[in-house]
Amino acid sequence: MVTLSINGRKVELEAPVTILEAARKNGIDIPTLCHHPALELWGGCRMCLVEVEKMPRLQTACTVRVADGMAVHTETPRVVAARKAILEFFLINHPLECPTCDKAGLCALQDLTVKYGAVAGRFEEGKRVFPEVVDDPVIVRNMKRCIMCTRCVRMCDGVQGASAIGVIDRGAGSHIEPFSGGRYNCEYCGNCLTVCPVGAVMSKLHRYTYRPWQMEKTVKTICSFCGVGCTLRLEVRDESIKRVSAEYGDGVNNGLLCGRGRFGYEYADSPERLKTPLIKRDGRLERATWDEALGYAAERLLEIKKSGGGAAIGGIAGGRTTNEEIYLFQKFLRAGLGTNNIDSIARLGLLPAQKILEGVFGQGAAANLISGIPHSEAVLVVASDPTKLNPVMGLEVRAAARAGRKVITIGHVDGLKRHRTHRLEAKTGPGQETLIMAGLLGELLKVKPLTGENPGLEDAIRQWEKTLPGPDEVEKAAGVAASLISATAADLKEVSTSSIIAGRELASSMDMRTNMLLLAALGYILNSRIFLISEHPNEQGLIEMGCSPDMLPGERPLEVSTFREKYEQAWGAGINPEAGLTLMEMIEQAGASIKALYVLGEDPAFNLPARGRVKEALGRLDFLVVQDIFMTETAAMADVVFPALCWSEKDGTYTNLEKRIQKLKKALVKEGIEDWRILAEIGKRAGLPARYRNVSDIFREIAQVSPIHAGLSFESIEEGGLLWPYKGKPLVYSATPYSAAQSSSVSTAAGGLYGPWAEAAWSGAPQAQNGLKLVLDKPLLHSDTLSTHSGALMDLMGGPEARLCPETGSKLGIADGDAVKVSTEQGHISLKARLESGLPEDALFISNNFRGAGAFELFGYQLEPESKTPVLTAQNLKVERL
Amino acid sequence: MSEPGMVVEGPLAGLEEIKKQYPTERAALMPALHAAQREFGWLSHEALAAVASRLNLPEATVRSTASFYSMFQGKSTGRHAVRICTNVACMVLGAEGLLAVLNGLYGLAPGQTSPDGRFSLEVMECIGACDKGPSMLVNEDLHTDLSAEKIIEVLETYE
Ligand code: SF4
Ligand code: SF4
Ligand code: SF4
Ligand code: FES
Ligand code: FES
Repeated sequence: MVTLSINGRKVELEAPVTILEAARKNGIDIPTLCHHPALELWGGCRMCLVEVEKMPRLQTACTVRVADGMAVHTETPRVVAARKAILEFFLINHPLECPTCDKAGLCALQDLTVKYGAVAGRFEEGKRVFPEVVDDPVIVRNMKRCIMCTRCVRMCDGVQGASAIGVIDRGAGSHIEPFSGGRYNCEYCGNCLTVCPVGAVMSKLHRYTYRPWQMEKTVKTICSFCGVGCTLRLEVRDESIKRVSAEYGDGVNNGLLCGRGRFGYEYADSPERLKTPLIKRDGRLERATWDEALGYAAERLLEIKKSGGGAAIGGIAGGRTTNEEIYLFQKFLRAGLGTNNIDSIARLGLLPAQKILEGVFGQGAAANLISGIPHSEAVLVVASDPTKLNPVMGLEVRAAARAGRKVITIGHVDGLKRHRTHRLEAKTGPGQETLIMAGLLGELLKVKPLTGENPGLEDAIRQWEKTLPGPDEVEKAAGVAASLISATAADLKEVSTSSIIAGRELASSMDMRTNMLLLAALGYILNSRIFLISEHPNEQGLIEMGCSPDMLPGERPLEVSTFREKYEQAWGAGINPEAGLTLMEMIEQAGASIKALYVLGEDPAFNLPARGRVKEALGRLDFLVVQDIFMTETAAMADVVFPALCWSEKDGTYTNLEKRIQKLKKALVKEGIEDWRILAEIGKRAGLPARYRNVSDIFREIAQVSPIHAGLSFESIEEGGLLWPYKGKPLVYSATPYSAAQSSSVSTAAGGLYGPWAEAAWSGAPQAQNGLKLVLDKPLLHSDTLSTHSGALMDLMGGPEARLCPETGSKLGIADGDAVKVSTEQGHISLKARLESGLPEDALFISNNFRGAGAFELFGYQLEPESKTPVLTAQNLKVERL
Repeated sequence: MSEPGMVVEGPLAGLEEIKKQYPTERAALMPALHAAQREFGWLSHEALAAVASRLNLPEATVRSTASFYSMFQGKSTGRHAVRICTNVACMVLGAEGLLAVLNGLYGLAPGQTSPDGRFSLEVMECIGACDKGPSMLVNEDLHTDLSAEKIIEVLETYE
């Protein structure tokens, strides 16, 4: 306990904090400029000087810690005079061009100058001059205004971990550079912009379009791009988003954002948004009224149900739909149309990966808090790059590295270059992670004793142990030094808590089960919290809301009759006990057993491999309904298109990768009908009663029927969301056979839900993988094709690229910037080559974001037999210079 | 990026030795910059990038450090770097007059390189030899007690 006095008031504190923190906690304001709670202490601006009795000089409140008996004065004449002098010092150079500065109204220097008196400069020399730099797509730099507080640099270095900027030159010539131009790896997170106290670095997107005080409202909602679920503030005027921001303390992201979240919002205002329903007449999509379109769609679907049965109809949902929409969607398909052919984009990896982990550890196996990552003693990142896919989660891994934790990357993880202790990467590029994990597991078992906590799992691990490859074998096949594997294991020997991060890359593999079980074994031995990357904001919701062919809402297995009966009762309709078809099976069956598809917020014609075949299949359907915000490739083929509202225009909930349910808030009023209403209306026409007034009503129904959501209400979701395990009953997997008495338990005995662990013995003889490989690239600044409708993101990355390392480039005779044609047995695309050092040799990275040149034009697939996940293949890969 | 144990040849090969003498790569930054400047004569973007990748440090950090110190050259220079002190002590002892001599004889102006590429001139704020001013550094050699005659004499020894 520390006792001190501030301005004569007695203050008691538990732990010694800085004078600034002590004062703020007690409602006493001390002005600051260089201090920011998210950043490392610096003490450079001297704005926060205070008087401390018995100390001869004034002290910086932001860095000096309180001590027992201290007497602090924050507003004495001496302090005020010092602050005034410091402001005068800043104003020697600061231009005070407030009338034309976008920061006016939010500027700390402006506020302080007003508070401590206008300072007529006594300095006779001219102010320093720097031209405003506006040639960057998103960041405007005006260094005349910079007060050298270094907040931006500390943000970029110490929080973002990009280290893209620094103070350049000295004295009056000091300025911050370069922010942009792609040089020095700026990641365009814009986090530096939020900490600049003045108008020296600002976003170009809203330049000169508004004054902060003219904003009509600020709405806190959730980002629409990935499964981290960052809290965003949408600043709105004239029914348009003027700016996206986040402040320290906001959400899981604690005020940080990535470039997609901060600069990617412009798609909402795109003129290409669909506005009216469309019906295909004589081969052309024509405008229709809502009534016509809803009536026609319901009528055709019911006809098909009548002639071919429910099994002739299927539904596919995307990961940006809300929980309420997904729930109604699967209810409409199951109860209204009588089909279990329901699947989603989560099939591409998250769903099968999670299923196996839950089979081992129980439901919620991968529901862990992102904020815990930097506190674990070690972090293992396997095959997927969190800094690109879930960027704000990636920052926590970088934070762990900075805090001296061990960060180990397995496979190619670009974004952790400077933030790792050990890098276990195959010389031959991605695809050898199974082998490396197996090698590491073997070495770990030698140095780390099993605890006996989970005897069943340990039996399996011991059985498995005999077949694991030794580090020498791994070295021979993958080129990862055997000594490095042993050293990594030795380094992990004493670790008692850790985090593991993995994503789709591990699951989209013929070795999927082995991969996930290896991951589980590593997780068990290292006492890990496991995180599964989720590339869309509500992929987790797709799983929880029953958007899969064999699971009902609450992740209850369809095959268990007691679960089914409960839903039948609630919905007043029978549910087919047979599991339906999975994503790719529905496509493969299109025109055969599947006659009609309803696609909700997804673009299978673009976002699935073997595009040529997928489009052909969709063309064979009798009836295709698409609900989307843009004319996607799938929508262009549809018989009925419903224009959807986008994320900023509707209420609802998203469940992030931690299984945290968060509220999406309507910020804009746009013409159109909410997606849930479209689904409810069409359901009504198919005979499903729909008495919903709003999303809260739908949520209430979910809470009534889904055991894990029991007891929740939409209104009870506050900022920060609802955390797993909510209030309901998670499913428990038990080794004893299922009995009706245990209504929330399912057997994993032989033939059980996920198959016994022992079946997945190490099978693959280590094999080197040589030759050119095609790798699905996932750029930091794009997300499906959605982001290509956002001007700023297009300015940052405007077209497709084939990335390869210079060595491979010269082997193939390709130089940076060359136009190349890439082909496989599936098809070919033309795009620009980009040589980048640090990429694995013989690997060609191409993303699937840009129409006309997406990687899925090139990838074929093979179905993994157990999960029916499409595993990408690329036969006859060729690259030529054009 | 250089892996441990890798044998590095060619440009900046000496950095591996320097790295060994310091506890962290960051601590080796200043000596590494000196070495790079010795090797290339000045610190171009490419030179800074090379130092950064050898030390596994962000380029922005390396550039920030290099641009802070006046002894690091960010522009291409003459064969010999002349750094003359014009801070108070040296000024009082006649440094200003020396600048005029250099300009007259070699066409040298502060911040520039002589037309024949022989010298480049940098004006310094104290080089720590105030007691024997006026003082200057030529490359890494210190020369003190300069006068108009002595400075010519000294510089003529640098080809
Ligand atoms: S945008 Fe992000 S990465 Fe770029 S300079 Fe700012 S903080 Fe650094
Ligand atoms: S640009 Fe802004 S944040 Fe960065 S040093 Fe200057 S005033 Fe501070
Ligand atoms: S990390 Fe994900 S949720 Fe957060 S701002 Fe970026 S895209 Fe949005
Ligand atoms: S706020 Fe304390 S020194 Fe800048
Ligand atoms: S003043 Fe010239 S060396 Fe110090």
